[in-house]
Amino acid sequence: MWDRVVRFLRAHENARYLKFACLALLIAASSSCSRPSTPVQDSHAYDPGSGSLTGATLNPAPNDPPGEWRSQARDYANTRYSTLDQINTSNVSRLRVAWTFSDGTLNGHEAAPLVVDNTMYVVTPFPDILYALDLTRAGEPIKWTFKPNPAPMAKGKACCDTVTRGVAYANGKLIYNLLDDHTVAVDAKTGKEVWRTKMGNVETGETMTMAPFVVGNKVLVGDSGGEMGVWGWIAALDVDSGKELWRAYSTGSDQQVRIGDDFKPFYERMKGKDLGTSTWPADMWKHGAGSVWGWISYDPELKLIYYGTSNPSPRVPDQRPGDNLWTSTIFARDVDTGMARWAYQTTPHDRWDYDAVNEDILMDLPINGQVRKVLVHLDRNAYGYTIDRVTGEVLQAAPFAYQNWSTGFDMKTGMPIVDPDKEPHPNVKLVNVCPPDIGGKDWQPSAASPRTGLVYADIFNICMDVTDNEASYIPSSPFDGMDMNRYPAPGGNLGEFIAWNPVTGKKVWGIKEIYMTMSGVLATAGDVVFYGTTDGWFRAVDARSGKVLWSQKLGSGIIGQPITYLGLDHRQYIAISAGVGGAATVRADVIALRPYDFPAGGNTLYVFSIDGDSMSSGPGQMTSKDNVSTTRPETGNGTQH
Amino acid sequence: MNLRAIHSAIGIAALALLSALGGCKHSQGGSTTTRPVNFPSDNLIGAVPLGQVAGEPARVVTALSIDNPYHDNLQAIQQGKQLYIRMNCAGCHAYNGKGNMGPDLTDTEWRYGGLPIQIYETIRDGRPQGMPAWGAALPPDEIWKLVAYIQSLGGTVSISDYEHARQGDQPGEQVAPEAQADAQFAPTTPIFPTPIPAKAQTPSSSPTPAKAGEPKP
Amino acid sequence: MNPPLALLFNKLPMLLAVRVEPPMAYPHTFGPAVDPITRLGWGLGIISLLVIVIIGILLLGGVLRKRVASSAADPHQLAVRRDAGGMAWIYVGGGISALVLVACMAWTLLVTAEVTRLPSAPGLTVQVTASQWWWSLRYLNAKPSNIFTTANEIHIPVGQPVRFELASADVIHSFWIPQLAGKMDVIPGQTNVMWLQADQPGTYRGQCAAYCGRQHAHMALFIVADTPQDFAAWQDLQLTETIMPTTEENRRGERIFQTHCAACHTIRGMNPAGILGPDLSHLMTRSTIAAGLLANTPGNLASWIANPESVKPGTRMPAQILSGPDLAAVTSYLNTLH
Repeated sequence: MWDRVVRFLRAHENARYLKFACLALLIAASSSCSRPSTPVQDSHAYDPGSGSLTGATLNPAPNDPPGEWRSQARDYANTRYSTLDQINTSNVSRLRVAWTFSDGTLNGHEAAPLVVDNTMYVVTPFPDILYALDLTRAGEPIKWTFKPNPAPMAKGKACCDTVTRGVAYANGKLIYNLLDDHTVAVDAKTGKEVWRTKMGNVETGETMTMAPFVVGNKVLVGDSGGEMGVWGWIAALDVDSGKELWRAYSTGSDQQVRIGDDFKPFYERMKGKDLGTSTWPADMWKHGAGSVWGWISYDPELKLIYYGTSNPSPRVPDQRPGDNLWTSTIFARDVDTGMARWAYQTTPHDRWDYDAVNEDILMDLPINGQVRKVLVHLDRNAYGYTIDRVTGEVLQAAPFAYQNWSTGFDMKTGMPIVDPDKEPHPNVKLVNVCPPDIGGKDWQPSAASPRTGLVYADIFNICMDVTDNEASYIPSSPFDGMDMNRYPAPGGNLGEFIAWNPVTGKKVWGIKEIYMTMSGVLATAGDVVFYGTTDGWFRAVDARSGKVLWSQKLGSGIIGQPITYLGLDHRQYIAISAGVGGAATVRADVIALRPYDFPAGGNTLYVFSIDGDSMSSGPGQMTSKDNVSTTRPETGNGTQH
Repeated sequence: MNLRAIHSAIGIAALALLSALGGCKHSQGGSTTTRPVNFPSDNLIGAVPLGQVAGEPARVVTALSIDNPYHDNLQAIQQGKQLYIRMNCAGCHAYNGKGNMGPDLTDTEWRYGGLPIQIYETIRDGRPQGMPAWGAALPPDEIWKLVAYIQSLGGTVSISDYEHARQGDQPGEQVAPEAQADAQFAPTTPIFPTPIPAKAQTPSSSPTPAKAGEPKP
Repeated sequence: MNPPLALLFNKLPMLLAVRVEPPMAYPHTFGPAVDPITRLGWGLGIISLLVIVIIGILLLGGVLRKRVASSAADPHQLAVRRDAGGMAWIYVGGGISALVLVACMAWTLLVTAEVTRLPSAPGLTVQVTASQWWWSLRYLNAKPSNIFTTANEIHIPVGQPVRFELASADVIHSFWIPQLAGKMDVIPGQTNVMWLQADQPGTYRGQCAAYCGRQHAHMALFIVADTPQDFAAWQDLQLTETIMPTTEENRRGERIFQTHCAACHTIRGMNPAGILGPDLSHLMTRSTIAAGLLANTPGNLASWIANPESVKPGTRMPAQILSGPDLAAVTSYLNTLH
């Protein structure tokens, strides 16, 4: 081939036209490769792209103002999707730090800030301080600080760092859980405590770390303590008074679990009387855990809330033969009465600490030619489920991360097929079980985009060696028994950021990361998705192609949840906390794997904007008394689709 | 062989057998320890200060000569390890002692003192940030076995190093002449132990921290 | 009489005074897991005795047989008779011996196969965990809520094969109930499975049969074979809720138990529920305590709790420092656990 070209050139040696043609081609090629030199002025010019890959539709109710972020999950369906598109694939690489805020604490920062009415609310890990930042003034000064003084004893009862996963906003109040089992409501304007309700006894080993979830005039909360032998529950409190309206336990008699006549589970093994006691050896359900420390979603048409329960206690399965209902179970409950409508246990007789507490994203998906109301749930056991949220039928279940504890999934019975070689027994070291206790994906919430129809998630690529030791139940001490050593699964990377197709059950693309990826995910209408790594890289990715468009190194590892909002200056901002901790630092064995030093703790909230423009820096002696200008800046126009 | 020789042979054999039987005492076994009779009294344990003695620079606090009676006793260490697992210490401090919900027990950082007697007190009385008090559930014997196990992990402070460890000194370091402990103030008699009233044994006298295994009624 | 012999005769009465205690008398057995072995033992023993007797007679015969004198005393002729009759003794004797030996071997193999194979699906499975120096028992059941734990006293239904899964919490022990089964070692790190069946109701005593430490000799266990109705009743009793104390002293005793004992001992329904020591739920349904060492009487219970070291030196149960009234209260409470 090559000598033909040479012969051709030699034959036409003197043909100048050829040389000009080549030159012209080169110039044209290089000019089309150059970046646009001017920023995008009008977001209406942005091309939305080729449409959804799955045909999914999402319901972003409640209809919160798009420029605000009023709940941790953004909406009832837990989409974590923002309709703002000022920041999009063409300009996200110009994101720079606009301003930061240090909250003065240490430990893992898992929460997202809320933005309501030009005020940003930031909650810290223990001692659970709540700050209100005034976004109408330069420098975002602190409007008020709320210090609830939780009991120091709670620090020794939290299995996975003294974290909190966020606050909820309702009726002019910020509502959140303290580590020592109190739920507290704070007036959003003044920072004064409105009510406080004691939900449990921290002396038994029970704590509370989850972000409350508001539906109408009810706020839903649950406990933590799957490793402490607690009795798991979810409760609804009245938003205005804090009075408990109902509580549903995760083990016990049907009356305690709030299972009644309208309970219609899809699968046979979840039908029967008092399964919450009969699937346990005598009396062991009383400290069987099933705590509710993850996310809750809500379908306003069906009036059902969806959430999951934790692993059973102790973490030594041979001490508790039986299916151990209703642990590791996804529940659908009526929000007004708390009565269960259906339940599905993702990991029967869980042997590896596979909680079912991960978020349930509510989507409407076309499956086999029919649009079904589903929930999409990427579970700790590494299976990505698409479940009919009306009936509890599993429509699709496929692994999204590396796993070897099961050899398959039986769609008829809805049960995973357990590999007997991967079942741990006391005093025997079991080698290479994947995923480990923290799962293929832990509590870090995924996001869904209605534009692409995909679900975006941070996952783990980790395995463990485990030895079980039978445990005594001594309240105030752990009821545990798992002795583990964790290491990367095949591939060598500890983390990965994936795009998941919930209809086909396949990974569309993935970005491998050396370190664990344990942050929440943010999806935006600009077709950009955001995530962070535990060694501190915050990244923006093209939601369609999976190409990393932008990265920024932050001061500490990222295990928080990013949000986006519109400032008073009509600029779109992205906010994320950097302060590593949580389960990422629970065991020194994982830290020992890293090639470089694991980042130290931190407590900084980072807020980004295009070119870093904001009212927090500029010429002259600025002070916090300066108001934020509401005139339109040069870039950005504050509108969105 | 004559009859006399045969009789002698039988007799000797029988004698040997009988003496062996007679000497067969009840075997001591290889799985327990000779239990030491003298454990440090509670008086003495309470007399060891956590902080520095006010007004007394660099003194030797002699109460610290109270060592763990089970120190280096291999069987006690083994039984202490069994207790460490069964009493759920491993659940908070990890099976290898490196810490998780509770602090690392293998390093040299001790919030409440790293002497055997101080570790004993921590286990017996509990601590405010979540360490339960085990003094009611475990008698002194068992707690000392736990201390022996923790000592075997390598991070505890030995008695002779106490004053130095408390001031952040490292073995083998240089000491400026002015920083030597002031000989003028060296006591001829030990400052401690000073007999103090026996601490009340009933749990109700110590409102915090919570005892192990006992939720508030 | 010379001294050694005198010594022997002096000690002889003592030797003769040692006798096998009736409950451990292994020649008298009561179950299909071990009856074939007993028969085999007796059979081989009798055959061996017969062989000894026959050989003894033949030997005696050979020794005392008169020598046949030769009629012609030929100095060059050896006084040995070499006729075919001598070889016949060899062939016949060897043949019979070989037949008997092969038969014995076949019998032994058949017996071994029979006692190690479960005859039918076991009605009951018990998980036994041996510790120094007691036995933890967990009764398995198809219905999880009927699974419970107890200690040292195993009840089984008569006439049904029972399967045992043996595990060790520390060192090597051996599970031996001589009148019902052969020994099966309990080895840490592996689970050994065996079965047995009791054909007659009664209490059968067992013992740890592998030296496991200072109190190995006092690590007994009892298998109580009940009629099926009695067994069902016992099982139901074990599953009932623990009786709550009613009197003031018993309530105080319960509190003391919770504080000082429950970190190691479980009484079902009570917190804490420790597993370092034996499960004490329904303690009063057991006939002995301290792994068969003491009869289960209030006096024995009190002295055991007050000073375990003096009763069973080297025991892992520590002495809790309890005042007199406290000890009485906790003993009184334990006596309510029927």
